[in-house]
Amino acid sequence: MPEANSNEPVDVLIIGAGASGAAVAWSLADTRMRIVCLEQGDWMNPSEYPTNGTDWEIQQHGPFNIDPNIRQRDTDYPINNDESPINVVNFNGVGGGTVLYAAHFPRLHPSDFKVKSLDGVADDWPISYDTLDPYFNQNDRMMGVSGLAGDPMYPPKQPPLPPIPMGLVGEKLASGYNKLGWHWWPSDSAIITRPYEGRDKCLNLGPCMSGCSQGAKSSTDITYWPQAIRAGVELRTRSRVREITLAENGMAEGVIYYDEDGNECHQKAEVVIMACNGVGTPRILLNSKSNKFPDGLANSSGLLGKNLMFHPVAFSQGVFEERLDSHKGPQGCCILSKEFYETDLSRGFVRGYNMQITRGTGPFNTAIQGYASGQIPWGPDHHKAFQRQFDHVASVGVLCEDLPELHNTVTLDPELVDSDGIPAAKINYTLSENSKRMLKHGVDRAEQVLAAAGAVEVSSTELVQSAGWHLLGTARMGADPNTSVVNPWGRSHDVKNLFIVDGSIFVTAGGLNPTSTIQALALYIADTMKKNLANLFD
Amino acid sequence: MNKGNITTDYPLTDVQRLKLGCLLDVLIPASQEGHMPSAGDLDLIAYLQAKAMDFLPSLIALLDALEKDFLTDNFEGRYQAVKKLSNDEPGLFQALIYQAYALYYQSPVVLEGIGAAAGAPFPRGNAIESGDLSLLDAVLATPKQYRKAPS
Repeated sequence: MPEANSNEPVDVLIIGAGASGAAVAWSLADTRMRIVCLEQGDWMNPSEYPTNGTDWEIQQHGPFNIDPNIRQRDTDYPINNDESPINVVNFNGVGGGTVLYAAHFPRLHPSDFKVKSLDGVADDWPISYDTLDPYFNQNDRMMGVSGLAGDPMYPPKQPPLPPIPMGLVGEKLASGYNKLGWHWWPSDSAIITRPYEGRDKCLNLGPCMSGCSQGAKSSTDITYWPQAIRAGVELRTRSRVREITLAENGMAEGVIYYDEDGNECHQKAEVVIMACNGVGTPRILLNSKSNKFPDGLANSSGLLGKNLMFHPVAFSQGVFEERLDSHKGPQGCCILSKEFYETDLSRGFVRGYNMQITRGTGPFNTAIQGYASGQIPWGPDHHKAFQRQFDHVASVGVLCEDLPELHNTVTLDPELVDSDGIPAAKINYTLSENSKRMLKHGVDRAEQVLAAAGAVEVSSTELVQSAGWHLLGTARMGADPNTSVVNPWGRSHDVKNLFIVDGSIFVTAGGLNPTSTIQALALYIADTMKKNLANLFD
Repeated sequence: MNKGNITTDYPLTDVQRLKLGCLLDVLIPASQEGHMPSAGDLDLIAYLQAKAMDFLPSLIALLDALEKDFLTDNFEGRYQAVKKLSNDEPGLFQALIYQAYALYYQSPVVLEGIGAAAGAPFPRGNAIESGDLSLLDAVLATPKQYRKAPS
């Protein structure tokens, strides 16, 4: 299939090559439509990931930092977090956030889609778990997900690969959960534990969150994209979209973007699909102002950029007498607990949280974080304190559901711009009282289970600042154009050839890592588009 | 000006070099059992020249802030001097800690001493215990179940 020229219209234009953009591109490819994806970042080269070198931990603080404001690659855009206790973290490149994510891969629960009906707060989604179930399964197969069937906290599901080894860390914490009679289960992980689809299995390198040199972690640059490209999709890297242009008939006409050399290009398309995450998508739409949409494209509801949800995260670490080989194995994937996931108002808050057991860090990060926390001093006591912690820790991340609130927003910063001069995103976010109570409850329970598991020392961070991975809710889906930005299958209420497939369209956030659900949603929307091709814009 | 002299790219004077060795010996001394080296046994200057040239002027400023008798003091005296330095120059001192730890915890000798494998993790990889899944029997024995929701 010939590549489209910059000025030659295409059928489908996807903006963003991350978790959702890759999935929707792959799914739509079988229509044989002419599909182009614009991605502001580069292809990643696994031989350049940090674990290829001895300085692998140092690089996590620089070019592979999860915070774009620290990483400062020329393919990144700055984000103003000054009015938020949580910083946005992400990655810009083919694969998007999946390049640096932990690959912890739970699905939303059935109850997460019906929060209003069940708990009287926020809103119900216009779709259910059952709607997405086939797409969850399809996505698990495409990504390569490891896990163990039989978790009583979910409807039946069968991960295609066996679970990640729990290791001594998982075993230790599991014994703690059992003592307390609390639920736990091996985590579903987007990391392959057996050779799969031409990729080799996990080597337990440890730092998944700086890119996987082995290619065992399922980032979409090595899962969906190769197949989508083979099926004819064109992926243009270093192509940064400034705005979506509007035709006289009120439909999206295409986009203006900057290519690798900074040239301004116009790409026309019959359909435009946004897949830029819950910050990037509203940023571009808010930058797409016109006479018809003076407050940003597809924003007649006024909800674009509002209801930002992050998942506030607390973190507790236990130190154990026994060596747990903590720095070995996927750092963020081990076991989880849903004991406090569902609403129990006697706890003092509505909704709940996931407990994600994580492994320890490498030597340098153990030392430098211990210095920062005051637990590992420099000087004559350094070695003793270091050896007490290194490979002797297990941690519990408490990942809380935060409810949609209008005052938590993504807007355009009046001054900050990216390297192409495009206005940057500004985050305004405050923790709700409900979230604060949930975090406190979660820390107490995390410390309790660590103690039950035998930790001799426990310390906690009640709110992790650099934890804004999950960017949700800023262009919510719904049936009513007055209370939502897109319809129940991702199409803008205002602009009928504009679709959104990323985490922006979440109605509520659930209390767990959202990538599995984001991708299932993208596949569901793509499938619905295919079923409605004849009357897509009706 | 240096006509007739042998020049090198070593950025420290002799006094600064000696101070640096003593300073690093205080930050991470050799372990008492002897299996862990002192940070002063490692070549921080070569590391900075390769990885963090920008920090060299800050390092020199820190070294110059130490009194000359730092060199002749005993360990406790040096420890107190470094403590004062950490209070007087917290930002620079924190940056020094970062660079010293970065050097130290990449050293093969150090990694061997703490029971970690030296070198790049990839492609070596790590072996970990699979874990005892029979621990799940306790979970499956409870009546807990996911919360049903309307379609």
